[in-house]
Amino acid sequence: MGAHLARRYLGENEPDPLNIPASPEGEHFKERVMVATQEQMNLAQLPLAQRDYCAHHLIKYMKCKRDMYPNIFSCKHERHEWEYCQHEDYVQRMKQYERERRLLLRKARKEQMEAA
Amino acid sequence: MAAFRAGLVAALARSADRVSIAGQRSGPGSLVAYTSVRAAHDLPRHLMPGPYPKTEEERAAAAKKYNIPLEDYKPYPDDGMGYGDYPMLPKKSQEERNPYYQWDHSDFRVNWGETLHWDFDMYLRHRLDTSPTVVPFNWIVKVFFGFFGLMFLGFYLGEKFPSYAPVAPKQYPFNNLYLERGGDPSKAPPEVKNYGFK
Repeated sequence: MGAHLARRYLGENEPDPLNIPASPEGEHFKERVMVATQEQMNLAQLPLAQRDYCAHHLIKYMKCKRDMYPNIFSCKHERHEWEYCQHEDYVQRMKQYERERRLLLRKARKEQMEAA
Repeated sequence: MAAFRAGLVAALARSADRVSIAGQRSGPGSLVAYTSVRAAHDLPRHLMPGPYPKTEEERAAAAKKYNIPLEDYKPYPDDGMGYGDYPMLPKKSQEERNPYYQWDHSDFRVNWGETLHWDFDMYLRHRLDTSPTVVPFNWIVKVFFGFFGLMFLGFYLGEKFPSYAPVAPKQYPFNNLYLERGGDPSKAPPEVKNYGFK
């Protein structure tokens, strides 16, 4: 936490925040699996921002809330499943940023070696 | 329409009669000349301010007329604005006056026969208020511009040095939600493949 602020203060090289590829490239990465179909998401009337790789958890959570109403506290399990999926997704984004940053550093190091 | 026009002519004739009684114009038929006569709801001539006082006797007479002690009587400058001998009263709103005194007009806070300020309607209690503020006015100005100055300085710095979380953009399935974001269904979408780290 806050390491990026220290890096910015020290003036280290960072990837352009507006121009980072969302996905890593390479044969040793696994393609992400989308569980919910487009039709399911349309029927659940999900907003665009929530039609991500956790949409199937969210649909289950919404269904549980609807079925268990008014006891909305009985959907703790579904809620946790969805939130954990979102957390994993965010960690994935952090890893992708870190990967891009290290690639940038490695490129700079290589250029330095060749120049020397 | 005819009845309305008849009523209008009758009303004009009545007004013209009144004008002729006041001795302003001769004859009830001079409707054109009537437009240059002061309206009936305006102050009558004998209640309008008199000419600017030039001698001490005139000043004393004007002060007596306006019910003001002679040492407090000070007319508006004779600069052609038509104030005449009307006294220049202090620019203080009625809100400043004592609310516990038994005024003759409690809502205006004036007594009967009291000379009103020339712009009395401007200083009514629900209009301008000249009562002293809790803190001095220059302090109010400083706080106002200090607050908004700091706010706009903050906005400027935020524009110059944007803050962002050190994460990559979020991945979305189905070619980055091509159809959902309004893509053309008859064309092949640009293929987007997302990979994970596990």
